[in-house]
Amino acid sequence: MNIKPVLVIGGGISGVTSAVEIAEVGKEVILIEKNPYLGGNVVKFNNYFPKLCPPTCGLEINFRRIKQNPRIKYFTSTEVIEVTGEKGDFKVKMKTKPQYIKNNCTACGKCAEVCPEERPNEFNYGFTNTKAAYLPHEMAFPYKFQIDDEFCKKEACNKCVEACEYNAIDLSAKEEISEIEVSSIIIATGWKNYDASKIENLNYSNSQNIITNVEFERFIASNGLNENKLLRLSDNTEPKKIAFVQCAGSRDENHLPYCSAVCCSASLKHALTIQELYPEAEVKIFYIDMRVAGRNEDFLVKVQENKNIELVKGKVGKISETENNNLILEAEDILSGKKIKYEAEMAILATGIVPSDIKFDLNKDQNQFITDLQKDGIIPVACSRKPMDVSSSVKDATAAAVKAIQIS
Amino acid sequence: MIKVNPDIEFKKQLKDISKSSLNECMQCGTCSVVCSLAPEERPFPRKEMIWAGWGMKDKLIGNTDIWLCHQCGDCSTYCPRGVKPADVFSAIREISYQHYAKPKFLGKILNNPKWLPIAILIPVVIISAILFMAGTLQIPEGPVNYSKFFPHAWLNSSFTFLWFLTIGLGIVGLRNFWNDLKLQNPDSTSTGNFIKNLLSVRKEIILHSNFSKCSAQKTRKFAHLLVFYGFILLLFVTAFAIYAAVVHKYPLGLMHPFKVLGNIAAVMLFVGLGIMIANRLFNKKDFGNSTYTDWLFLISMFFLTTSGVVIEAARFLNWSFAYHLYFFHLICVWFIIIYIPYTKFGHILFRIVAMVYAASINRKLK
Amino acid sequence: MDKKVGVYICSGCEIGKSIDINKLGQVASEQNVSICKNHSSLCSIEGFDLINNDIASENLDKIIIAACSPRVKTEVFDFPENILVERTNIREQIAWSMEPGDEDTQMAAEDYLRMSIAKVNNTEVPTPFISENLSSDILVVGGGITGITAAIDGAKAGYNIHLIEKEPKLGGWLNKLYKQIPYSAPYNALKETELENRIKELEQYENIQIHTSTTINQIDGQPGQFEVSLQNSKNEKITVGSIVTSTGWQPYDANKLSHLGYGKSNVVTNVEFEEFVKNKPDKELPKNILFIQCAGSRDKDHLPYCSAFCCATSLKQATYIRDLSPDSNVFVVYKDIRTLGLYEEFYKEVQKDDQIFFTKGEIQEIIESENKLKVNVKDTLIGEDISLSVDMIVLATGMVPNGTEDLNLNYRLGKGLPELKYNFSDSHFICFPYETRRTGIYAAGSLRAPMDIASSKSDASGAMLKAIQTIEATKRGEAVHPRSGDKSYPDLFLDRCTDCKRCTEECPFGAYDETEKGTPLPNPNRCRRCGICLGACPERVINFADYSINSVSAMIKSVEVPDEFEEKPRILVFVCENDAYPAMDMAGQKGLKYSPYVRVIPVRCIGSINKVWISDALSKGYDGILQIGCKPGDDYQCHFIHGSELTEKRGENIQETLETMMLEPERMRTEFVEITDYDKIPQIINDYVEEIELIGPNPFKDM
Repeated sequence: MNIKPVLVIGGGISGVTSAVEIAEVGKEVILIEKNPYLGGNVVKFNNYFPKLCPPTCGLEINFRRIKQNPRIKYFTSTEVIEVTGEKGDFKVKMKTKPQYIKNNCTACGKCAEVCPEERPNEFNYGFTNTKAAYLPHEMAFPYKFQIDDEFCKKEACNKCVEACEYNAIDLSAKEEISEIEVSSIIIATGWKNYDASKIENLNYSNSQNIITNVEFERFIASNGLNENKLLRLSDNTEPKKIAFVQCAGSRDENHLPYCSAVCCSASLKHALTIQELYPEAEVKIFYIDMRVAGRNEDFLVKVQENKNIELVKGKVGKISETENNNLILEAEDILSGKKIKYEAEMAILATGIVPSDIKFDLNKDQNQFITDLQKDGIIPVACSRKPMDVSSSVKDATAAAVKAIQIS
Repeated sequence: MIKVNPDIEFKKQLKDISKSSLNECMQCGTCSVVCSLAPEERPFPRKEMIWAGWGMKDKLIGNTDIWLCHQCGDCSTYCPRGVKPADVFSAIREISYQHYAKPKFLGKILNNPKWLPIAILIPVVIISAILFMAGTLQIPEGPVNYSKFFPHAWLNSSFTFLWFLTIGLGIVGLRNFWNDLKLQNPDSTSTGNFIKNLLSVRKEIILHSNFSKCSAQKTRKFAHLLVFYGFILLLFVTAFAIYAAVVHKYPLGLMHPFKVLGNIAAVMLFVGLGIMIANRLFNKKDFGNSTYTDWLFLISMFFLTTSGVVIEAARFLNWSFAYHLYFFHLICVWFIIIYIPYTKFGHILFRIVAMVYAASINRKLK
Repeated sequence: MDKKVGVYICSGCEIGKSIDINKLGQVASEQNVSICKNHSSLCSIEGFDLINNDIASENLDKIIIAACSPRVKTEVFDFPENILVERTNIREQIAWSMEPGDEDTQMAAEDYLRMSIAKVNNTEVPTPFISENLSSDILVVGGGITGITAAIDGAKAGYNIHLIEKEPKLGGWLNKLYKQIPYSAPYNALKETELENRIKELEQYENIQIHTSTTINQIDGQPGQFEVSLQNSKNEKITVGSIVTSTGWQPYDANKLSHLGYGKSNVVTNVEFEEFVKNKPDKELPKNILFIQCAGSRDKDHLPYCSAFCCATSLKQATYIRDLSPDSNVFVVYKDIRTLGLYEEFYKEVQKDDQIFFTKGEIQEIIESENKLKVNVKDTLIGEDISLSVDMIVLATGMVPNGTEDLNLNYRLGKGLPELKYNFSDSHFICFPYETRRTGIYAAGSLRAPMDIASSKSDASGAMLKAIQTIEATKRGEAVHPRSGDKSYPDLFLDRCTDCKRCTEECPFGAYDETEKGTPLPNPNRCRRCGICLGACPERVINFADYSINSVSAMIKSVEVPDEFEEKPRILVFVCENDAYPAMDMAGQKGLKYSPYVRVIPVRCIGSINKVWISDALSKGYDGILQIGCKPGDDYQCHFIHGSELTEKRGENIQETLETMMLEPERMRTEFVEITDYDKIPQIINDYVEEIELIGPNPFKDM
């Protein structure tokens, strides 16, 4: 009997994990990812809590597992648009964006050298630009250049085609629709962060020095905006007073009614990262409840013991900007019952987790997370079904793998 | 150290009146921050919200801050749990009218729709009784002349007497309120006397400046100022009318300066009340929950103004039902000025007292 | 018969501009290779065909591709399994990181090719170790909800499961539950306990053997061949391929919580309370009940960690108290309410109740008087200290893992799984939560980390997947994570073994048992192929087919070390292939330049570096040796647990070697980097080269 492969939708840390775990059992897997590279959100992170270690370390191992395992096929720049059929025999229609740069790209970089157009670099949340022909990032897997057709002038320019020594560029490439048959489907579509501009009282849209937690990762990463330096956008100075605003959108009926589960630990991580770089910097974290479960309590204690980091119980209700682009954060210090106005040089909003959009029908809960009530053989995993941290996501992805191999 | 003994009934009453899911407050303090009035020290309304959640009636009734709130609704707009502290405050004030009401039953019947007939019956019966005693309990013949129906002397003396009576009862309640305010702030000692402190808050009373700090409801200050000054103007005109009735010719002619002033006041009231009513009806999001007490006050004020204008017209036009309208108008007057300590109109008293107390302990708004 | 080697040199991606390819080819022809060819782009179809045709026509056994890093184009250079493929990284680590056209760059490239040739001459394609009579059965230890879930998942996947439980009845703590926390959307109503349904489901599977009232006497062997002797009425012996252990937790000993009132009448733990209600749901509950959260947890004198389940459990108990007793008031005093994620919906639902009162606070004292408990609480949200008079106190006590000693592993390194912290047998790796140091044995549920039922069930499924995976990988003779798919295994030449026990002691995975004398007994199926034993062995008797003492020694010796007068030092750099090697690639990709005097040899783990390589290098005349590994310490990043840490221990030995050779201690340096430290690579290398230049040449040069 011909056993169909398992489909994993989403090539973030969860999807990659599900895929390699299934393949290492000995089953065939197809992994698809909408970005041109695998690794999802975590590949943009500077480090993980509580070890403060780089995400690319684990991804490198996982990519090696993919590279050496013939049972995994992966498709990047690809999305699922339709799922029909039943467990054991799903038919999945997917759409692949035009592949202007073919797989024989050697990543030599000649195309980017000659490319005259620029695009906002999605990898750095648009804070920097790349050429329209670009390598998504230095650890990109697959390791090849991409062309952003929103900004590329195509045949009218053609400079990259002429520069490429390997004939790897085809500017006339078209979007492709393909159909595959699979036995089960793991939904590892993950999350995006909440749009901070919707939280009007926090003034995110009006100040360059108010950034979100995910943006902060790019601000401080060694391959980010400033190579391991934290600089304010307004004046390129290194802020020495930094405030974290917890529950920016989360636990808020006006925004996300649920807790995003990771932001407390993430801000503790950021605070310690700042302390490693700038031991003199003053950090304040404004929170409602400090939610770091399990053994991560140690991590919280480490922060509490740091004399330059102060945890203030009280939600920031308002942020305003001063003339010199500093920020006034207002909160009630609940335990002392006093209103605080704290002038920070940079404010980081701990924005929460929103499930990614999915282009086909699935049962969702009141918060748009995918429920467990799906057709047999469709297995939601990690942040597509509820907010969770990386370690829990990987655990969940491994659990999903066993459910997938049960179907054949 | 406070002994906790939650007053569940009070809490249920609060929830009932405010329509707020106040239990869901998670004590984040957003409300205290977005409030444009809350002081730096012990700001409101966060602390009141946990007291409400814990059924701590004693801490909420006779609490200064409850009356410093101007009900702008910013706290409710930004509350991440959607618990509407503004409405909870409003409900506490409403419960306060009843709590300090002397006699108690008046507080009760004026804050519960099921007792509305009784609330109406009381002035009907008493006014009828006065008319009976005056011997005018009938519709007079001839051109409309209200003094034929309710002789000025009878009217002025009885209503003034009743007004002084309820104001007196109100003052007893306010004294209790004042004592509770002191009890709630054992660490603060009052300075200055009542009058001096009253003078210190006069500017706020006259200018309503705290109202302008409200960002959620821009039209509120304007409407309140119109109603506030319209009403004062009417009081002034009424006082002149009483004086006129005693010393010279009354009623006044249509173009008499005081008559003109009275009509201007009526217009001010109409506009102000119109805005208030429209806001409560059509902008619930910013204006929050409107309770029976809110509506009773607003509607009686509206009826008072309307009937006042209509009876004036009726007098000049010699309408046949002018006296019925006049009777109705008197009931409206009763609802507004005789019932003052028991209705929402009492806020003028409670709020001023609380403001004066706050000034005495130097509790400053932002 | 000699194996035939083909060398293919790529000139694409600037390599041709940086390096004289023809001259490089001459190096190959000086050596014993069958073919040496150049191509402008080996990764093109034409390039691949060139090599593939040669393999067929020339019967090549081994090929060397001198081109880009082995980390890229793996999908292109995919040749039949019997062909040994060596990738010489002359793109990222030479052409892109050294001065183009420079004489020193050329020398580096030539040496790299020599090293590759030496390597292929001393390695073979590994033949996997596949034991006979491998079992595909899986043992699940502990019949609580975690064990039950694991067993069902394993059985559903088609494996034969032995589920053992020490009690006469399955179910563990779930037997004592009255209700369960809502674990699925909309997360707002309590759930009936699922135990009955789960046991029914379990009993449907014929491939699950349930052994109740059973413990383990001993477990011997290795993945695919674990011999388990059970202690029960039948004293069965079973053979399994892998093991999931889920023996769960105990509540923290409340007797230690007298400061929170335990010992007074009407003070109970959350577990006691649950059992009480479960057994007597009709019994009237007291009027005022107080929950004290973090009773023992988040307390450095008791349990320093958060027990993760207690907040939601108290919310659950408060909910059913109010259902059962509409007049009761419930008070909850907490440190932080930790209803993470969608459990927030449950918290909000519980908050809706008019008679459940929450405040943050610290318990100051508890006084018992006249059947009442007076509790004074400070640091509350109420703005002042409060005094509660209650009829009952429920202490939300935390979770203590049961440990894994009762596995009774007959392993040299102990009876249980290694514990990470606070007695939890957890993985240290965020990306790899199922990393185990006892291959084929996976911990699941709350003995791994504090967790609730929903989390335990997901954990059980994940652990079962890993157990299945180990069985399948073992059947293929492959390693499991992180060197998944590696078919090599340690081959011991025991005749020369001196029973020094270093390999048995240092293997992070307990792959070696030993005889009474101390001779190592390898269990290849437990091995994770890190090579730490190879690095440990002073007699050099441990080797892998494709990674051996000789292969690396040969690489070291193949380099042409210039005589001292040329003032061109040679630095040998051992880089860990997990993090340091990719970091070097990225440095090259970013165009960061470093000294051309370095000669890089990738190693499986910095812990696999054998001392003999150091002395080989020094005798050969290298002026310095740099080893770059992953970060050690509490938050270590070494993928093989303590490879980096071992360098410290072994460092002393190496310093002795240097001393006996009358060499400066600086001739050996150790650095640790993270994978993202590529920007630091040039500095690390150049600083060291500079220092060596100051010290001067190695006196052993040219001797």
